[in-house]
Formats: sequence, C-alpha cells, structure tokens
Amino acid sequence: MTAHDVVALLVTCQLAAPAATLVLVGVPTLLGRAPAEAFTRRVVGGGFTAGFAAGLCMLAVLAGRGLRPEVVHLGSWFSVGHHEATLDLVADALSVPYVCFSTGLCALVNAFAGKYLHREPGFTRFFLLLALFGTGMNLMVLAGSIDVLFAGWEMLGISSTLLIGFFLERGNAVRAALRAFTTYRICDIGLLAAAVVVHRAVGSGDFERLFGGDWPHGNCLVPTGTAVVVSLLLVFAAMGKSAMVPVSGWLPLAMEGPTPSSAIFYGALSIHAGAYVLLRCESLLEQAWPARLALIVLGLGTALHANVVGRVQTDLKSMLAYASMTQSGLIFAEIGCGWRVIPLVHVISHAILRSLQILRSPSALHDRHELEAALGGHPGPDPWSIGKLLPERVQAAFYRIALDRGFEEMAVGRVVVAPFLWLLEWAAGMERRWLALLGGDDGPGGGRS
Amino acid sequence: MTDSLLGAAAVTVAAPLAAAAVVAAGLGGGRPRRAAVAALTLSLVSSLALSLLWSRTDGMPLAAGDRLGGGALLLIDGITAVLLPYAAVVELAILLVAPRRSLDPAAVARLLVGTAATFALFLSSHPVVMIVLWVATALVTWISVRDTPGGRAAARTFAIAMATAVVCMAVGTVLLVVDPPWATAAGWVGATGGWLVALAVMIRKGIFPFHSWYPALFAGAPMSTALSATMPQVAAYTAVRLLIGHVDHPEGVAAELVVLAELALVTAAYGAALAIVQRDLRSLIGTLAMSQSALVLAGLAGTLPMELAGALCVWVSSGLSLTGIGLVTWALESRAGSIGLDTPQGRFWDAPALAGFFLLFGLAGIGLPGTLSFVADDLIVSGTLDDHIYAGLLVIASTVLGGIATMRGWFHVFGGPLAADGPRHAILLRERVAFTGLLATLFVLGLWPDPLVRALDRAAGRLLGVAAAPSVAEPHAGPSATEPAVDLQVLPDGR
Repeated sequence: MTAHDVVALLVTCQLAAPAATLVLVGVPTLLGRAPAEAFTRRVVGGGFTAGFAAGLCMLAVLAGRGLRPEVVHLGSWFSVGHHEATLDLVADALSVPYVCFSTGLCALVNAFAGKYLHREPGFTRFFLLLALFGTGMNLMVLAGSIDVLFAGWEMLGISSTLLIGFFLERGNAVRAALRAFTTYRICDIGLLAAAVVVHRAVGSGDFERLFGGDWPHGNCLVPTGTAVVVSLLLVFAAMGKSAMVPVSGWLPLAMEGPTPSSAIFYGALSIHAGAYVLLRCESLLEQAWPARLALIVLGLGTALHANVVGRVQTDLKSMLAYASMTQSGLIFAEIGCGWRVIPLVHVISHAILRSLQILRSPSALHDRHELEAALGGHPGPDPWSIGKLLPERVQAAFYRIALDRGFEEMAVGRVVVAPFLWLLEWAAGMERRWLALLGGDDGPGGGRS
Repeated sequence: MTDSLLGAAAVTVAAPLAAAAVVAAGLGGGRPRRAAVAALTLSLVSSLALSLLWSRTDGMPLAAGDRLGGGALLLIDGITAVLLPYAAVVELAILLVAPRRSLDPAAVARLLVGTAATFALFLSSHPVVMIVLWVATALVTWISVRDTPGGRAAARTFAIAMATAVVCMAVGTVLLVVDPPWATAAGWVGATGGWLVALAVMIRKGIFPFHSWYPALFAGAPMSTALSATMPQVAAYTAVRLLIGHVDHPEGVAAELVVLAELALVTAAYGAALAIVQRDLRSLIGTLAMSQSALVLAGLAGTLPMELAGALCVWVSSGLSLTGIGLVTWALESRAGSIGLDTPQGRFWDAPALAGFFLLFGLAGIGLPGTLSFVADDLIVSGTLDDHIYAGLLVIASTVLGGIATMRGWFHVFGGPLAADGPRHAILLRERVAFTGLLATLFVLGLWPDPLVRALDRAAGRLLGVAAAPSVAEPHAGPSATEPAVDLQVLPDGR
C-alpha cells in the first residue's frame, strides 16, 4: 500500500464517518423510530472522533512526506459533454490541519451538547444537523474541485439556517433563520457563478487546472482576467457566510440558536468558511488586485463597524457575535494583504477562543450575577478604552451610531429589501385582481378536498 | 426486443384504464384506492421494464403506426424511457397519500383516465393524438375542479385557458398540415400554424402572461387534481416533440421555441419571486410549480445537449420534490385545515413527521447536495450560462428566489408557537411509504446521477443532432426568419 493509497483511505474515512452517522441516525428517525439520546450522541460523536483520528493520521503521513499535497480522485460524479463534476479531494498543508481542527471541535461540541440539550425536544434534530454540518465542512475543506466545494458550502448554509431556527416556537428564531438563509442564498450566487466561470475557463472544476504548486506557494494557471472574475465572485460568496458589511445583519440575530451551535457556527467554523475558500484560492487572488483591494476595504470596514457596534450590546451573545465579526473582518484584510499563514493561524486561534467563550457564556452570566450579588453591586470601574480619549460629543455620536448598528440594517432595508417587497406585493395584488376577474368575483381559492 | 417494448408500453397505458373501468363499474368492493394502486403499481413496473429494455438498445427511437406531419402514432425513445416511470411514480404517490374522503369512485376513475391519457401522450408524437389527449387530460381536470366545493372560479379560469390552448393547438396543427413549413412554397398559413402551436404550448405551460391558471388551479382544486394536471408537464412534452430540432434553425431549435424560452425565463424568475409574498401554502406551491415548469421550458430551448439534459433533469427533480411538498401539504390540510403563511403557524408541534418530510422535499427542491435537484441545477445553470449569460443569470435568480420562498414556507408553516394544544397527528403507513419512496428516488438519483444524466444527455443529443443533419443535407429553400418553424417532417428519430 503506497502513501497515496493510505491518504486516499484516510480522506475517505474523513468524509464517510460523519456522513455515516447522518444515515445511522437520520434513516430511523425518518421511519418514525428515532434512536435514544445516548445512542444519537455516541454515534455522532463517534463519527467526529473517527474523522479527527483519521485527520491526525493523515497529518502524520503528510508531515512525513514534507507536506507535499496529495490529490485523491474518487471518480466522476456525473458528466455531460465537456461538463464533468469530479469527486476530487485534496490533502495538503491547508486542508489537513483545518480538517483536524474542525472535526476535533465538532467532537468537543458534540460532547458538550449531549449534556446541554439533554431532554430537549429537538435533541435528535440538533445532532442530525450537527452531523450534516460536519459532513459539509469536511467536504468543503477537503474539496479538490469547485463542485465538491460548492456542495459542502451548501450543506453548511442549510444546517446553519436550520440550527438558527432550532427553537421553532420562537418568532425571533424563525425570523433570524430566514434572514440568514436569504443572505446566504443571495451570496451563494457568487460561488455558483464562479463554478460556472471555472468550468468554462478550464473545462472542469478541478483546482489542479486552476492553480498548481504547494499551498501557500501556488501559482495561477488561468489568465489574469479569469482570475479576477473568479476572485471577485468568491469574495462576494464569502461576504455572506463571513458576515461582512453590508450583509452582516444576520449574525447577531443568529445567536437565537442553541449555544453549542452558535459556538461552532458563528464563533468558529461557519463564520470562517469564506476565509477558508479565499485561502484555498490564494493563487487566484495573487493575480487579482481588485479582489484583494475589495477584501481589505470590506475587512477593515467590517472590523471597524463590528468593533463600534459590539461595544454597546447589552447581551453577551450579541457582544460575542460582533467580536467574531471584528476578527473575521481582520482576517479578510489579512488575506487581502497577501498573507497566507497568518490568517490561517488567526482563524484557528480565534475559532478556539471564541467557541470557548460562547460555550461558556450561559454559565459566565450566572457567575457574574453571583459575583455581583456577593459584592452587592458592580465589581469595580468600567475598563479603560481608547474611545474615552474622544471628545464627549463624538463619543455620543458614536454611541448613537452603534445603538442603531451603524444604520446598516436600516439602509439595506430601505434601499434594497423594502422596494423589492413592495414591487412583489404590488404584482401579487395585481395577480389576485386578474384572477378575480377571470374566475368571478370571489376568485379561485375556495376549493379544498 | 421491439415486442417487449411494445408490450411494456401497452401494459403501462392499459392498466390504469382497466382499473378505471373496474372502479367506475363499482367492482372495486367499495375500496377504489386498492384497485387504483394495484393498477398504477403495474404501470410503474412495466414502465421501469420499458426503461430497462430501452437502455439495452442502440438508442434508435422506435416509431410505429400512422404518421402525420412528422409525428408517429407510437414513439418510444430516451425521453419516453425517462418520463413514463417518472409520471407513474408521481401518480402512484398521489393515490397513496390522497385522504379517503376525496377518493370516491368517480374521482378515482377520473384520476386513472387522466393518468392513462398522460402515459399515452408520452408514447406518441402524432399531432392529432396529442390534441385528443390534451383535451382528455384537460377535461378530467376541469370536471374534477368544477365538482369541488368552492372550485367553480378555478374551474372557470382553467376552462378559459385550456379551451384557448386546445383551439390554438388544433387550428395550428391543421394549418401546418395544410401548408407544411418545410415545403418550398410555404407561406404565411404555415407560419401562423407554427406560432399558434407555440401559443398553445405557452398557455398550457402557464408561461407569462398566460400563467394565471397555474396558481389558481393549486388554490382551488383538490391537490391530486392540481398535481396530476401540472407535474407531468404535457405541454413541455409537446414542445419537445414539435418544436425542438427544427431544420430551419441553424442551431436546431425552432424560432417559436426561442421566443417561448425568453418568456419562460422571465416566468421562472417572476414565479419564484412571487412565491416569496404568497399568503397561503397552496398559492406558494402553485407559483413555485409555475416557476419550475417555466424553467424546464427555458432549458428545452437550449442549443447545447447539456441545457436540454439539465431541463429534463429539472423536469424530473422538481416534479418529484413539488409532488412531495404538495402531498405533505394535503396530508397536513386533511388533519388541520387550510394553512396561511402571513404568520408562523406552529404546525411542527402537532405534526413533526410531516414537518420533517416537508423540509426534506423542500431541500430536495432547492438543491441540497446529494439530491437530484443539485445535479439538475448544476446542469441547467451551466448550460444556460454557456449559451447566454443573461439566461443563466435569470435561471440563477429563479433558483435563489425559489429557495428563499421554499424555506419561508417551511418556517411559516411549522415555526411559531402551537396555536391550540391538541393531539399529535400521526403519519399513516401509506403516507410514509409514498413520502419515503419519493425521497429515496430523489436521493438515489442525486447520489448516483450518472446513468440518468447520461440517458438524458443521449436523448438530448439525439434531438439536437438529428435536426442538424437534414439542415446540412437539405438546406431549407426559404428565409427561415419569416417562415414557420415547426417541423412536422418524418425524421429518422420518428418525430
């Protein structure tokens, strides 16, 4: 058995382990025989642990070979004419550490959630969505073609939406989930269009045909024009998942979901999915200065916005959401500056810290209340911040802006959403009138059987 | 092999007709569902056998019987081999899920006759047969809607649309036969005929601005009737047989179909956008169905086999997922009444299993990786973008908006606090069988799509490729832009 065969086997294990748990728990649930809590937790946790172990083995194998990338061709998914969707995966210096980190984190959150959601009505649903997320994450991280990456990306979006709306009985959760899904869906246009452009440019979605060399020193294999177009589309796609201004409004609302999912999605993995895709295609960005410029502007703008707005939040999860957004913006700017390893280290370290903070947040609040009760008031003066150096009027102006979340939601709502919905409502009203005219005064709609 | 194919085709059509006769004569022992399910199971098995047999042939279409205007009385090809099992699965699922109170013998007999007519239509390309079967399928739908309490308005809307479509189709076909567009001396009569046939397809397919009957049917008719009338997409089939592969067009597509495709693209995006603001679940499904149906027609006008294959793939994937959504909605309505969308209805708490199935069908309709719709979206988006950038963007817009509308529908039906504290609604075995079967088909074809995609690609290539050959061998005498474009010649593939 060659080293390539070993890597192929391990990569397959990485993907198959969480996917198998999805089947093991999902099929009985679909057939009306939902498994017990302990079984669900162990099976899903076992899948992640197996994936993590496979990742560590893969890391050892790759390290022994000087981190030379291995491309694993699992075959062709389907093909029509020149359009072929291949199942290609890649194990290299970017994907293997990342997949170890993501599956390890999923395993830890799985263990935490087993206790946290004990006897919660949606226990099985949560773990199914976690398994779907883990499968999608592994697929996206190990993707060796843009088709596979898109498949993983979509799984992330769907699992994220359904977990934000996990507490279906809460109106806010439903609204937040729809808001997030709409943002994802619109920004996914970027990745979908990028995939089509790549297919047109090189005849397949394989990354091998887009860029060569070892990460992070790859070289672009397509003309500059193609690289610029694809990079800009990828930046647009990444904006949605990573909550960049002006489409960041969904992130604080997304904290309506259960704490474990908030930790892993919006503190750790999902929020950095965009950064990962950009790092994967760093060779294209190297050739595309407009995309790099866009990343710097978007990143710094988002970091500033989130930093200011986050300071006036009155609940811990919203504060942490804005803190995540700040770091995500900085990571975008770092990628735009042409750095590779620094943003990767930043992503991993931030993800670990933030997910711990979010997981700790319910008990941290409890501890804080106990501390204040014991001390009989607020423990000490407010910490010093650079904002206190500003004149009071400027501070007040910033405060007002921060309270209104930088007017971002208001601007997007008034300029984009409201006119669009007004137009649709008007069209729907005209349709109803026309139907009433065609079908008689009452219009169709009464028949039910 | 030929005898086996013909035998399988005959069984597929005859089984529901025989069952309809049995049920109408009152011989079903008071249980019309059993006879109907048995007949449609037989149809499904025979249609699958036909597909299997077809896959073992060299791909040459089998045409037999009287020919008129290029169409054969009996035609079996790659399209037939895919559409027959698809239609059988849809109709069988409808029968399994239908609530008992809506399955009186007359309704079952109508459903079976309509199903047999649809099967027969998929086995023919003869213009006269198509007209007759258009009338038959429309008539059973109209009677069913008319007999539904409160359905008269929808019946009237449907009747206006279908009567116009059938008249256009009949007159157009006559004009084409009288003044064949492929003849050297072809004139305005044939041209008018071609455009009338295109208009008929447009109306029957619910293409803007003739789309209103589509959501009206879903809003006013029993779900079985609405799904049976729309999911097989008989007008798309007519377009495939009469408009694709026309020798006039340099790229093998009739000029009428190109115009239809432009309007279909607009309809696909418009329908998906409109679905976002619908106030009740049935209207949401109706507008989504209208959008998906238009998307199929838009892809059918493609000049690349990938576009055609993508359109056929969307035909099957959207049909199965929308059938699933429609049937879950019907099951839900039969337990808890009609469902509005203005505010979250909180149905999750009394029907969690139905919520799960609705979600899975919805995800299977919006491109969840691993389902057939992911493959279909990939093909149709890539194909249309390869062909025309603006077309691709409209297709992307319709898939994005359709996804948003679907998820809004799910969250508004199942999200929210429980309105009334009542008993949980269990799911019946026959419902679970139907839903699981539909889902399994969507997932199996999504995870292992290559055989289906290759079959569709081969069928699409043959449709386009056959058209190109005569245009090289026998260049058309007249200027194509001003002449009728519907090709009714006897072509090597039997069209």
